[in-house]
Amino acid sequence: MPSQKAQKFKKVLSLVVEPIALGVLALLFIIPTITVMNLSPITKKLQDLNILGVNTQSAVSVTLVGGKHDAIIEENLNKTADTSYEYSTQLAGNGTSSYSKPVLEIKNNTDKAQKVSFYGQTLNSIKSNIYLKLDNDNTNRKLQDDKGQTYSQEITIEPSSKVVVFLSVESLSSVNFAEEFDMQIKVVENL
Amino acid sequence: MSKLLRRALKISIVPAILLIAGKFIGILCTSAIYNLNFQISNDLNGLFSVQIYFPDASTTLFVNSISNLVMVLFVALPLAYFIIKTTLYHTMAHNPRTIVKMTRFNMLKWITAKDTSFLTMFIWCAFLWIASGVTIAHTLQGSTYPWVGIVAGSVALIATLFTIKTFEIETDNIYPTEHKYY
Repeated sequence: MPSQKAQKFKKVLSLVVEPIALGVLALLFIIPTITVMNLSPITKKLQDLNILGVNTQSAVSVTLVGGKHDAIIEENLNKTADTSYEYSTQLAGNGTSSYSKPVLEIKNNTDKAQKVSFYGQTLNSIKSNIYLKLDNDNTNRKLQDDKGQTYSQEITIEPSSKVVVFLSVESLSSVNFAEEFDMQIKVVENL
Repeated sequence: MSKLLRRALKISIVPAILLIAGKFIGILCTSAIYNLNFQISNDLNGLFSVQIYFPDASTTLFVNSISNLVMVLFVALPLAYFIIKTTLYHTMAHNPRTIVKMTRFNMLKWITAKDTSFLTMFIWCAFLWIASGVTIAHTLQGSTYPWVGIVAGSVALIATLFTIKTFEIETDNIYPTEHKYY
């Protein structure tokens, strides 16, 4: 009698288990297919994240400060190589004789001082002096004079510290029109 | 549960894992060898939220092509091993020259009935169809090099022909044709 019961139980169990096993077998084919299709890489501009295993932090990182400004608009920052960046903006003027805006935040992630160079110019001469200023000093570092002459500037960033770079424009002309300004930022060396 | 279903489940696990591993290892190795930047992020558009991102289209095309090729090879190589083993196992039974050759290469112990069943080959072949199907679909979408799609299709076709041959050999064992056995 007990063996008969056991056999009956086995029969019922096999009736229940068999469809489940068939489903599992089907899933063994379906899940890898969906996973493989989903694993296919896609194109997207990578964010500069500092997450373990995702992206390594650069020795010197340059980021846009952002924010809205009447005269300095459409700011863009691109990383062109490991140690160089390109900043571009439109200088709209808007009738203002002089204006300034924090544009870049430069962070030294190393334990050594880092030297960073700047070289910027407008496409056409706009009869304006364009300067760089830092948040920790009041020195005007000239990038372009009113005659269109350009100058390279270098700053030193202390270990594990950051500086905010201001773009300052002193307009000598009453005529105002939008002009594109491009600036190359390059980490020169560690000192 | 039937024996056939139990065996099918047991056989399916390894190629299913290899299919996913092949794709993933393909992406990781290509990125590591060519020093490519990638990002694993969440995107709620697909069935799964995890996505791998590359910064430009040409890099994505290259990595996707190589990873698809690696995935196909991960499934095709074990299947090729089974095909060779099955072919030798069945040829040995009727051809003494093969036995002599196998003895010369000291491979007699390797030729056993293990891994030579039609079910094993059919399941591996089905996974190869999936890998090739995904690769060909990507080729048609333009996200894989055309030559990778052609290679995947050709490998799947050849493997299918050999699997059909194994099926014929197994059915011959069950229902022998007159001219061979009588």
